[in-house]
Amino acid sequence: MTTDARQKTRTPAIILDEVRKVYGTGVAETSVVAVDGVSLRIDAGEFVVISGRSGSGKTTLLNLMAGMAAPTSGAVALDGQDLWSLTDAGRARLRNERVGFVFQFPSLMPSLTALENVMLPVAFGSRRPDAGFAERATELLRTVGIEAKASAYPRQLSAGQQQRVVLARSLINSPRIILADEPTSNLDERTEAEMMELFRGIHHATGVTIVMVTHVSALRSNGTRSMEMADGRLQVDERVGAPGA
Amino acid sequence: MTLIQFALRDISRNEFRSWTVSLAAFMVAGLVLATTLLMQGTGDSLRLTLGRLGADILVVPQGSEERVETALLMGSPTDAWMAETTVDAVRAVPGVAAASPQMYLASLDGASCCSVSSMFIVAFDPATDFTVQPWLEEELGGPLALGEAVGGAFVSEPEEGLRIYGYPLALAANLEPTGGNLDQSMFLTFETAREVARVSVTEAVAPLEVPDGAVSSVLVRIAEGADANTVAGAILAGVPGVGVVMSPEMFESFRQQITTVRDGIALVVGLTVLLSLLLIGIVFSMATHERRREIGVWRALGATQRHVVGSLVAQAVVLAAAGGAAGALFSALGVYLFHDYIVERIGVPFLFPSTPRLALYVLVGLLAAVLVATAGALLPAIRVTRQDPASAMRE
Repeated sequence: MTTDARQKTRTPAIILDEVRKVYGTGVAETSVVAVDGVSLRIDAGEFVVISGRSGSGKTTLLNLMAGMAAPTSGAVALDGQDLWSLTDAGRARLRNERVGFVFQFPSLMPSLTALENVMLPVAFGSRRPDAGFAERATELLRTVGIEAKASAYPRQLSAGQQQRVVLARSLINSPRIILADEPTSNLDERTEAEMMELFRGIHHATGVTIVMVTHVSALRSNGTRSMEMADGRLQVDERVGAPGA
Repeated sequence: MTLIQFALRDISRNEFRSWTVSLAAFMVAGLVLATTLLMQGTGDSLRLTLGRLGADILVVPQGSEERVETALLMGSPTDAWMAETTVDAVRAVPGVAAASPQMYLASLDGASCCSVSSMFIVAFDPATDFTVQPWLEEELGGPLALGEAVGGAFVSEPEEGLRIYGYPLALAANLEPTGGNLDQSMFLTFETAREVARVSVTEAVAPLEVPDGAVSSVLVRIAEGADANTVAGAILAGVPGVGVVMSPEMFESFRQQITTVRDGIALVVGLTVLLSLLLIGIVFSMATHERRREIGVWRALGATQRHVVGSLVAQAVVLAAAGGAAGALFSALGVYLFHDYIVERIGVPFLFPSTPRLALYVLVGLLAAVLVATAGALLPAIRVTRQDPASAMRE
């Protein structure tokens, strides 16, 4: 099947149409164009790795995909929803129900245990937290290989273990899309490999759409599609392997 | 885990914020409660004393109006005498329905013949009295016998017996508290007073002087339909050497004193509320600034603005409730323990409220603290949610 034919049959997970993001005061000299007229379509089930140097605009692109930053111009659709036609609460609900996040920085709540951190997104949802979620959270911790640390607080976990908890947290609401921003940047090589193995395993097992941005070009081979960003523009967009492979 | 549970868990993370908010709430609740207790207590005390007096007009020796008022309200002994004939002269004034004399006496200061020192003693005429007598009839079923007395709320009979000027008195009953020294005063009949004076000549360190044919005041009840101002004017015009105090104006100087105290306290409370608002606002601004990345993560995970604001305000409410409860307890205890000192300092009696009313006032104090903390936390909380999540997460 050709790329065009596949795009016709698959559901789009994310669509960006001529999206531009400019930071600054509006005065040309002091403004920074972080994303410059990007158009792309990511289909459900793809594992997209976007690489680029620091400051190339990849994190901003990820934030735009999630509706966490408003585009200066252009349109963003997530799972079929035009993000900026929704209210702030609507975007929050969409993120809660359909998107999982893995951040570059330590993002666990220090006053919660690993298990409670995994369950945190449930508290923001419309469904009441119940024992079923606790079971699911425990199962997810098992999936990422850290079940034994369920009652540990973030300060008692290594950076790698914390990122595993974050990955488990991103899956608690069974999202359709996982957005990962430099998820391995604070990890050593071995842990980075383990994390990438986990991402691949989850993608393979669940078929969830994953968009990962990284400055490490070598990680591009982990996805099914690879893009490269420079100066706020997508320079390279190529298939690495069959979706879901 | 619910958001409220999370908010509670999160409180311990920022000790500075927790202590500051609690302290501000402590001050607000404490001051609001103390002010309420004082203002309501003084008002209650004045109302009760006035009610107990039960007279429309008080006729006293000219120039002694303020002294007698102070004696009646504060229970501090006074010396005021006028001719007993004044009673008949007042009674004869048109519009006067009843007139009854009283004598104001005092026990000796630190003398062995008096078991109570410098006590204000009110002697009344049971034949004409319309203020104490009806209460006695109701409570005791009859008048006071010779040698019997009615005490203020805190008058008690010592083990060796109650004696004034060497004369043994039997305590027949106690009156309801009024919150001032009047609670440590005593009421007895003219007959008993004269008997005390007679015995005191031989039994006391110094005799009790009860001038013959003299009284300290005349309590007047006006006839139905009569105008108190007209009757008072007629008394002043028809009875020489007297002054009058009208019931609505009675204790006016004390009311003014209360107003002055109230205004002063209101200013302090207002400033405290303002400073607390500012302090809580600054503390929460600092806290939200420090935690903006965390709040950004919350927003990324699906927290709405309402979730974030709700969580921050919940923390403020919990801290304010804890600090406010401590402040209210401290304040209530302080006002209770230092009651006499406060009465002495402000120069007006005040009555400590009943338990249900105290509970209501504590609730008012707590509510004030919680409202101040909520208002203080609300603005920074709203401001931090106005940022888009991506900006909040950027350092």
